[in-house]
Amino acid sequence: MGDRAFSVSRCAGKASVITLRAMVSAKERPGTPLSYAASLRTLAVLTGVGLSGCGTSSEPILIGLAGPFSQQTAQSMLLAAQLAASEINQQGGVNGRQLQLVVQDDSGMGDVAVQVARSFYDDPDIVAVVGHMNSRATLAAARVYNGGDKPVVEISPSASSPEVSDAGPYTFRVCPDDEVHGTQLADWAYRHLATRRVAVLYENDAYGRGLRATFSREFAGLGGQIVTQDPFSTVLPSFEPYLTRIRLRGGADAILFAGALEEAERMLSTINVLRLDQTILSGDGVGGIETSDVDAEGTFVSLAYVHDQPGTRNEAFTSAYQRATGGQLPDHRGAGAYDIVYLLSHVIEEVGTNRQRVRDYLSGIGTETDMFSGVTGSIGFDANGDIVGRNVVIAVVQDNRLVSAAQR
Amino acid sequence: MKPLVALNTLRTRIVLGEAALVAGLVVVAAIGIGALRTVRNTVTQEVESLTAISTQSSTLITALFEQMRAAEQYLADGSLEAHNAFRSGGNAAHAIQGRLQALPDLSESDRLVVTQMEALQAEAEVLYNYAHAQLDLGRRADALAGARVAREHASELLRLVGLLSTSQSTRAEATARSLEQAATDREMLVWTVLAASILIAAAIAVALLQSVERPLARLAAAARRFGDGDLRPVALGDMPAELADLGDAMDRLGGSLRVLVNEVSEESERMATAAQDLSAISEQLAATATDVSTAMDEVSGGAHQQVSGLAESAEAAESLYAAAKDAGMVSGRAAERGADIHRLADTYGSDIGAAGNALIELGNLVQQTANQVEQLDKLSEPIYEFIDLIKQISSQTNLLALNAAIEAARAGERGIGFSVVAEEVRQLADTSAQAADQVSGTITTIRDQVTAMADTMAAGKAQARGVGSVSQGAAEALRQIVRVVQEIETESKRVAGQAEKNLTAVDRIKLALRSASEAAQSHASSSEEVAAAAEQQGASTQEMAAQAAALNRAADHLRALVKGFRA
Repeated sequence: MGDRAFSVSRCAGKASVITLRAMVSAKERPGTPLSYAASLRTLAVLTGVGLSGCGTSSEPILIGLAGPFSQQTAQSMLLAAQLAASEINQQGGVNGRQLQLVVQDDSGMGDVAVQVARSFYDDPDIVAVVGHMNSRATLAAARVYNGGDKPVVEISPSASSPEVSDAGPYTFRVCPDDEVHGTQLADWAYRHLATRRVAVLYENDAYGRGLRATFSREFAGLGGQIVTQDPFSTVLPSFEPYLTRIRLRGGADAILFAGALEEAERMLSTINVLRLDQTILSGDGVGGIETSDVDAEGTFVSLAYVHDQPGTRNEAFTSAYQRATGGQLPDHRGAGAYDIVYLLSHVIEEVGTNRQRVRDYLSGIGTETDMFSGVTGSIGFDANGDIVGRNVVIAVVQDNRLVSAAQR
Repeated sequence: MKPLVALNTLRTRIVLGEAALVAGLVVVAAIGIGALRTVRNTVTQEVESLTAISTQSSTLITALFEQMRAAEQYLADGSLEAHNAFRSGGNAAHAIQGRLQALPDLSESDRLVVTQMEALQAEAEVLYNYAHAQLDLGRRADALAGARVAREHASELLRLVGLLSTSQSTRAEATARSLEQAATDREMLVWTVLAASILIAAAIAVALLQSVERPLARLAAAARRFGDGDLRPVALGDMPAELADLGDAMDRLGGSLRVLVNEVSEESERMATAAQDLSAISEQLAATATDVSTAMDEVSGGAHQQVSGLAESAEAAESLYAAAKDAGMVSGRAAERGADIHRLADTYGSDIGAAGNALIELGNLVQQTANQVEQLDKLSEPIYEFIDLIKQISSQTNLLALNAAIEAARAGERGIGFSVVAEEVRQLADTSAQAADQVSGTITTIRDQVTAMADTMAAGKAQARGVGSVSQGAAEALRQIVRVVQEIETESKRVAGQAEKNLTAVDRIKLALRSASEAAQSHASSSEEVAAAAEQQGASTQEMAAQAAALNRAADHLRALVKGFRA
């Protein structure tokens, strides 16, 4: 079951006909934990059908949903996207047709993302793709989505690498890029936290290097000093030498962590062991750290979205999300995915399911048509498919929750 | 309505053949140009793609080597220079990997290799950086241990670099092969189309040549056949319109010649048959004329003898006048002459009968002969008169001899000798009368035959008339001879009756004899005329035969000429 996704191809009266859609997925990569994601996916699709009921007899509209759903960090994205689809289908679907998410796990890896993208690309019923989640997967998959004669739109909720801007005309995102994150973080660190010496620990990938580069440039520009810049990845035996060497370099007021949640937890553990007192700044890659087992209190995180940010749409979303998940709170990926599903349903309502028309309409939002109002804020796109006029929110971990740092 | 394009003319075929050839060459040229253009475009595209990829690959490899070298150097000397080189090399490698990933022509497998290289480089970078941190912290052993792990990643990275290079060269080779294959395929296509064009052109040329040569050969054969005299119709078959016109003309010529030859042939056959018939008739005519001539010669000879016999009779009558006993001798001799005439007439009759038979056969066609035969018929009437005359003479001679015997008995013993002579004369007269009767019967037979022959002849055609008149002439001559003999007989009787008493009677006898002689001479000349006519007939018949022969030869020649034609 791991490489298949259920889809509802027909719905007549109360009887549901369920067919199996064969999909290429991460099965080929040994060691990838799939069972959890697969069960989740199956559950989600069936749940979506159950919620929507049988309002139409026509074929459902297929939307791809790609992310590392085997990982905890992607759960909000998956659940929020399914929540949005359920809501839309409950309200009668899109132009009388059910919206159906075809979920694929890309493991957050470039090569798997390429395979997932290929399967979406080759399925002519796939109108657009929600994803991928991280920059690496989004960039790798973008080469597939933007190639050939049947390009398909991908809209990432959280791929913040600057490279995504140039990934192609069919690649969009609803989050500010790492430059905004880096710039805002540097500004926050220098101005609000009055730190002058910062040690940078960055994940040695596109995201980490991008965030490192913009932060360092901005912080140095403000007059601060970058004490060290050390790359890490899963192969790093220990963060200890890097953290110890900070002292050797004269110490730092803060540490910028440019990486993902798992390494952040490892680093925080080491910091706790070493009893270091530096302020921790991080980008949105560490989303979920607030509920982590490690002590992350006081960690500043730049986010495209915080659940407690103002807005009636957001309040309704968070309430619905909490109801659907038993009290959990959505992260920026979930909120972004939620907005993307609604955005796509809006676009399909306007121009139908033609891939190119969907892309053309998307690229005109905010310029040719009005900004789209989402839970994360107003959404419009520039020529590169980047969201326009969106600043990040600096949140802080407080009592195992992320709250807006400014509201603290 | 003539079709717009007549396919059966040489002109159209040649034009169409040329058009097909030109079209084939145009297609070949188009395919060749298209193939060259395709190959050139493909080559350009592939070379550009390969150039871009290999350029990025080689700069990536350079950057990676530089970074690894700097990492090792930092482990050795811990210099800032090495640290910066390590960092800049890493940055450069990351940038290049990004550009490589952005290349649209990078194959999926190469892309995966580049992605793996990125990951490996990131790991090696992290591990070297970790080792450098340990070194900075003075933990040399940990640093070297970390560096060993880093080197493992570095060597794996270098293996991937090699893989990428191999992939590039493999791709270059594959490209070259596919280009070669494409070139070969298109070359094959060009050659195939070219060969097809040549074949089509050759086929068209052969068909064209055949469409000219075969009809020409047939026409030539037909012409040769005509030349050899075979004028039978020739099946010329299908052929181009121009040659078909020629063939039709030849066919018409042959037809006309055939009709002509047939007519000439039939005419020559008819002519030859007529000539042969004419020739045969001429030969028979000639033979008949010869026979008539011979017969007439003999009749003439017989008449002369009769004349001399009559002269002798006259002398005997004179002797009778002088001496009675001579009279019996003369009468006897006259009787002999009558017998001779009888015999001759018999002979002539058979000859003339033979001639008549021949004439019956020929009479249908030879009018001249028929005429002469009619003449012969007329001439035979005087012979009866002659015979009657002889009969009268012998009767009178018999009476004369009886009177002489009575006178001898009166004379007593002196008349005994005379009575013997008288008896002899009487017997001579009887014999003479019998002979005359025989002659008369024979002549009648002859006359009947000649009449029958003349009737047949008269019923025949105009050509036989000449011969018929000749025959009539001969018959007339015979009749005159007979009449004269009869007159002689009559006169003999009177001579015999009055010989003793009256000299005048003897004179009359003499006169009668002279008259008979003259008549005989006249008969002889008449016979000679017949003979001459017969000879003339023979000559003209021979001339006719000669002309018939010439005609026959001409007919033969004509027939030989015509026989050369197979109509």
